[in-house]
Amino acid sequence: MTGFISTLVEAWQELRINKVRILLALLGVALSVAALTSVVGVGSLAREGMKVQSERNGGRVATLSLNVSGPTMPEAAKLEKAYQGIQQRYGITTSTHVSQTQAGFQFPRGVTTVNVTIVDVGYGIIHRVQLQQGSWFAADDGKRLAPAVVVSEAFYNQIGRPNLTTHPTVTIPGDQPATAVMIGVVPDSYPNMPPSAFILAEGAAMTGIKPQMSEFKMWVGEEQAGALTAAINADLQGQFPGYYAQANRMDYAAYGDPLAPVQLVVGGVAGLVLLLGAVGMLNISMVTVRYRVREIGIRRSFGATSGRIFVGVMMESVVATAVAGLAGVMVAVAVVKHPWIESKVAPGLTEYPAFPIEAALMGFGAAVLVGALAGAIPALVAVRVKVIDAIRF
Amino acid sequence: MDQTSNETLVSLRSVTRSVRLPDDQDLHILTGIDLEVKSGDHTAIVGRSGCGKSTLLNLLGLLDIPTSGELEFLGQPAERLGNNARARLRGSTVGFVFQQFNLLPGRSALDNVITPLLYAKGKEFWQRREIAMDMLDRVGLAARANTMPNMLSGGEQQRVAIARALVRRPRLILADEPTGALDVQTGQSVMALLDTVATETSAALVTITHDTNVAALARACYRLDSGVLSPLPMPETVGVSA
Repeated sequence: MTGFISTLVEAWQELRINKVRILLALLGVALSVAALTSVVGVGSLAREGMKVQSERNGGRVATLSLNVSGPTMPEAAKLEKAYQGIQQRYGITTSTHVSQTQAGFQFPRGVTTVNVTIVDVGYGIIHRVQLQQGSWFAADDGKRLAPAVVVSEAFYNQIGRPNLTTHPTVTIPGDQPATAVMIGVVPDSYPNMPPSAFILAEGAAMTGIKPQMSEFKMWVGEEQAGALTAAINADLQGQFPGYYAQANRMDYAAYGDPLAPVQLVVGGVAGLVLLLGAVGMLNISMVTVRYRVREIGIRRSFGATSGRIFVGVMMESVVATAVAGLAGVMVAVAVVKHPWIESKVAPGLTEYPAFPIEAALMGFGAAVLVGALAGAIPALVAVRVKVIDAIRF
Repeated sequence: MDQTSNETLVSLRSVTRSVRLPDDQDLHILTGIDLEVKSGDHTAIVGRSGCGKSTLLNLLGLLDIPTSGELEFLGQPAERLGNNARARLRGSTVGFVFQQFNLLPGRSALDNVITPLLYAKGKEFWQRREIAMDMLDRVGLAARANTMPNMLSGGEQQRVAIARALVRRPRLILADEPTGALDVQTGQSVMALLDTVATETSAALVTITHDTNVAALARACYRLDSGVLSPLPMPETVGVSA
């Protein structure tokens, strides 16, 4: 026990005495760790941003799209029955019809044609719909007498940005004029995007909005996607002989992770930064040991064992780099979580993920590893010092 | 004198030490050394520069082991002790005083004296500050405890080095040219201090010097010439020149 405490006391004394030199060495390590952790953190944030954007467009991993085509259009009722049956048989809980069409909406300046997406409630989950305000459709919204609509920001601006808590309405003129209630607003995907809206299939039927080219999507989860795709393909083909029936993955990861190259580049840059930090630290440590050869010899003459010298030099390095690593990680968190950085790195996100814990742990772990490596080599040099030569050094 | 008086601390019998040169030739530094150091002894070893004095001191302090012959430290054969065992034995039993003081830079006089106590255990470690202050007080430097070595005079630095060598109450004090870097007057006061403290603690003092005045303070004197150690009658010590 005394031996351990006295080693700590000795390491602390060394840190105190050589504070300027150690501070300079630590500054390099802290900057390296900050750079490493920031690169990984920013990479992770960018990846999350790209992933969310991709999932908004193509659906979550893994989303299957079911299609039946042939010489004639398959009977709608039979197709719907087949979709429902597949959901039940394979225990799929999240699905949606998706159909793009256009409809006229009454704005203060007149009737404007708007892109309308006819969906089911599950669309919000599958496509990670995030709302600027209000809410997405609920299960019983299909039963409303005045159909609910979720509108885009451009739509919301053109209608005069009414307060959603007052249940504002919009008129849908046409063959079956109806009044719809605006329940939510989604952000525009790009600047100057024309107004658009989402409406549930029941609401669309009520207002005479006719779907075109409907597709059916199911969220099945990544692990079972492969097996389910094959099974559903066979199932669907059996129900529609003579037709070309297929289930395809539509999400961004359908053909492997397209973000993997980004991750690889980020990892490579991080590794390079770490290597530079390690080399810098090793260099300083080696110079330090050469500078301390005489001192090591004197300590040996007072009874310091080679193990004690090794642990002392090593501990000094590890303790110092651990502290530097902690400081570096804190700097990285401050940089990556800065609102300006977040908005530039992941403009597609409205809510930013927490700082990736793996990046923080990697930064701290890298610092300790660098400390151990940069400490071990000089420590080995230190124990090989010949006492007699060292004292005369 | 305590009960350890006259106990043999180090015994060398037919000890040789040679080193292999780059041209594969052996350089014989010490040949056939016979020496016994007992508690309370004050021995001086004189000789010209390069005659092997420091090599002999390194052997006595377990910093080195002989090429041949027998070296026993407190009855234990040195060659059978591992590096760590020798280090521990050295730390607890031997105190070194170097010619160039070898104070650790950047540390105060007190921190320098504390350093050997960092390798001690129990009370010696936990009360290291008090023990070191007492020792500095004994060498008359209590008031300079927090002074850095570069702010001390040569004599003061050597007194700090003596306090550091004696702080673990070693049974064997090895002084390598302790006055070599000091003027005559300061050297005499340093030697007087070393002799007094060694006598008070019943420690054996082995001084290596080429200064005959320093050698004359010892109670036994040897001459080392070309690696061969021979006793020197005390009256003849004056007149041996470096």
